[in-house]
Amino acid sequence: MKFNIVGYLIGEGFKNTFKNKKSTFSAMLVMCISMLIFGLFFIIGENINHIMQTVENAQAMQVFINLDATDEDIQKLEEELKTIEGISKIEFLSKEDGFADYKEKYGDRSYLIDSYEEFIPDSYIINFTDLKLSGQVLEQVKKLDNVKEITSANEVMDKLVKVTNGIRMVTLLILAGLVIGAIFIIANTIKLTVYARRKEISIMKYVGATNSFIRWPFIVEGMLIGIISACISILIVGGLYRLATNGLLSSATIQNLGITFVSFADMFNMIIIVYLILGIGIGVLGSSMSMRKYLEV
Amino acid sequence: MIEFRNVSKTYSTGTEAVHCANFKINKGDFAFLVGASGSGKSTLIKLILKEEEPTSGNIIINGKDTTFLKKSRVPYLRRSMGVVFQDFRLLPDKTVYENVAFAMYIVRATPRHIRRQVPMVLSLVGLSGKAKMYPNELSGGEQQRVALARALVNNPSMLIADEPTGNLDPETAWDIMTLLDDINKRGTTVVVATHAKDIVDKMKKRVIQIDKGIIIRDSEKGGYNSEV
Repeated sequence: MKFNIVGYLIGEGFKNTFKNKKSTFSAMLVMCISMLIFGLFFIIGENINHIMQTVENAQAMQVFINLDATDEDIQKLEEELKTIEGISKIEFLSKEDGFADYKEKYGDRSYLIDSYEEFIPDSYIINFTDLKLSGQVLEQVKKLDNVKEITSANEVMDKLVKVTNGIRMVTLLILAGLVIGAIFIIANTIKLTVYARRKEISIMKYVGATNSFIRWPFIVEGMLIGIISACISILIVGGLYRLATNGLLSSATIQNLGITFVSFADMFNMIIIVYLILGIGIGVLGSSMSMRKYLEV
Repeated sequence: MIEFRNVSKTYSTGTEAVHCANFKINKGDFAFLVGASGSGKSTLIKLILKEEEPTSGNIIINGKDTTFLKKSRVPYLRRSMGVVFQDFRLLPDKTVYENVAFAMYIVRATPRHIRRQVPMVLSLVGLSGKAKMYPNELSGGEQQRVALARALVNNPSMLIADEPTGNLDPETAWDIMTLLDDINKRGTTVVVATHAKDIVDKMKKRVIQIDKGIIIRDSEKGGYNSEV
């Protein structure tokens, strides 16, 4: 037996964890499932965010100007656009440049649009400070003079914003539910250990052990379950994510849409931090909860 | 050392276990607490250990009134007393040595101190050769000696024993009591709650008798019953 105090407390915690294999296993299982569900929603949320950012950068709003607008009109329109809140960048695209863009898009078949050159108007490309404001900006731009037409991914954006917000809410709700559930399960697991060792605890109390001294091994046990669960979860989440993104990226639809995914490495820090905080926090809370009754000697 | 001033204890169930108890046990004393089962003996012990709070009155231990002692300070109070129970309360998965050493690292003794102190206490209780044995390999008397060693290993100023011989045959019981007497002679205050009449009569020590929660007798060198 080790007589080093920290070693003793941690050692007891380890021993407990592996002594009650069944309850430890079930606690870890529940923790892992909780963490996996959380991870799933977190990853989906992050990816939608990522896609939205791509959309935000690439798909700005294009405001086409009436063909008969004079240079002063165009200048005036720019001034007016500048006063609208929610626009981060205004870029003028002359009819020539605009046409060149179109030609480029059509590539080999660009000759098809050669005769349409005179119908291509000047335009402004507008970037938003925040996608959520796009609808509002759109309404204001519509009212301005000399605006012929506006193309935007407005509806898609709206939906995406709603979906991400929804997913964020769901993630938070799930997280809250899982945390509460996991705390109770950990508390129960540790209660078993505490119960099995109630005699030892009462002896410790009589000999003059402080509550914190008695508590530590159990807190170590809770933390250990949390940390191990976190490690297992991150491996599973990472592995599955790689499989899923590889599979999706090889599909033609995803490639055509030009969608990319957030690399797992970018999310790893966040996930591991959340997992460890969850694991350790739940472990500590759960074990403290289960201890209270038995410390009253 | 231990002083009860008008101490009463009524449990939440309404039973009055101790009524207006007054006594004083001085440093170096050896005192028996006697009385039938349910007389309030165990409650007195629990009050000394601060396992229970008195409903009224004051308990002074080592010159300090423990009535308003903070919960967090209770462990430190208990370090000044060793405790022995009828059922020994040893840890079955630890050896004799470990059971005793356990009490030392709870109070954060240094490893060196532990290595020196444990064998000393084991030899004091006569268990030097059994350090590596487990409690289930020992007789009842030997187990109680381990419990005694554990109670003594931190050099408490007093030893509280609650029915220490209750589970032992008369001969072994006498050995344990003699051991308690030896310990007392080395300067430790000893309080023994018991209803072992023969032993109390034979030892001629101070007897505090409690009946239905009331201290009915406190005599120097008395016997179990007042007429002795």
